[in-house]
Amino acid sequence: MTEVPNAGRVHQEPDAAANGATQLNGRSVDRGHAKDLFRRFVETRNPALREELVGLHLPLVEYLARRFRNRGEPLEDLVQVGTIGLLKAIDRFDLEREVEFSTYATPTIVGELKRHFRDKGWAVRVPRRLQELNLSLNKVVAELSQEIGRSPTIAEIATKAHLTEEEVLEGLDTSNAYAVVSLDAPAGGEDAPAVSEHIGAEDEGLEALEYRASLGPLIAGLPERERRILYLRFFGGMTQSQIAARLGISQMHVSRLLNRTLAVLREGLLEDEEIG
Amino acid sequence: MTSTVQLEIPASGAYLAVVRAAATGLAAQLQFTYEEIDDLRIAVDEACTQLLARRGSATTLNVAYHLNDAELRVDVSIEAPDRGDPLARDTFAWQILSAMTDEVREQAEAGRLGLSFRKAGGRG
Repeated sequence: MTEVPNAGRVHQEPDAAANGATQLNGRSVDRGHAKDLFRRFVETRNPALREELVGLHLPLVEYLARRFRNRGEPLEDLVQVGTIGLLKAIDRFDLEREVEFSTYATPTIVGELKRHFRDKGWAVRVPRRLQELNLSLNKVVAELSQEIGRSPTIAEIATKAHLTEEEVLEGLDTSNAYAVVSLDAPAGGEDAPAVSEHIGAEDEGLEALEYRASLGPLIAGLPERERRILYLRFFGGMTQSQIAARLGISQMHVSRLLNRTLAVLREGLLEDEEIG
Repeated sequence: MTSTVQLEIPASGAYLAVVRAAATGLAAQLQFTYEEIDDLRIAVDEACTQLLARRGSATTLNVAYHLNDAELRVDVSIEAPDRGDPLARDTFAWQILSAMTDEVREQAEAGRLGLSFRKAGGRG
């Protein structure tokens, strides 16, 4: 089941695999350190430890994501999808199991990547046409919102983009099916001054939510920006555009983050089901 | 005048894309804005997911879209003998549904569990 990078791959993809291989072969990952982190994480469920574990195993995700890179999606996006798998594996990993974490995590990460492609429906590969459509819609929606001071209708988008409404709808369908959560949101580091400013009141709301909904660990595990968006949209009564303006990102970006976060939270409610 | 579109899908998460797509297409006809459509899709997903999570041995999920002027009402239901209230109001799911729509209701009657919500479009 588990594939570990070998010398052959290293030759094929020098930059790529070199990184992953060193890490995976245990030369630079201190296994004892990883085990210790896991032990502490299992006890405390401390998000900071979780983040450290993610960082430690990112090379594995990068390596696995590369196997899917010829399907028309940016590697960066695939790494983010794979990271969701990594997070799940980290959360479920049981130290009692006598397996290495990388062995345990690989099927989960690959499963997440496969599902990412399968979720797009019938096409395994994202047609370039749709990617381009999505990009141009992104731009048109942003421009129109600016012009008319509200979110545009499908008809308005179609007119402006010189597309049929059908095409716009197709793009809309695509936009979230292909969405990936950004796990690189700064978690309060030097890049994140804006995010931590008005946190106080919002955190109280979030705490209530976590308590009520028993979603505590799941929500606590979300990157800070995703948690904020979740709170502002569902409890703060702000629209996507308002949140976008506040966080300095586009409305469609907010939409993607929101949808992906919900997908993560719903995980486990339904089995991994396929048409048929 | 109200028009109704009905869907019956297997009680499986794999078919939610169909329910979403239908909602999207109908909302576009009612001149919903891009954001309103996105909210609607989130609500549809949430309602269906919550019912499917309670599906027991039910094999189908029914969705009815009622179009009335600029408003869409979506009824989602599943067969569920003796299953009581579909969704407590203090859950995150309920919060999502309320925030994304103008009104949400639960229905538990005649051996069916249902969620019904209304959303008006064209308000920017």
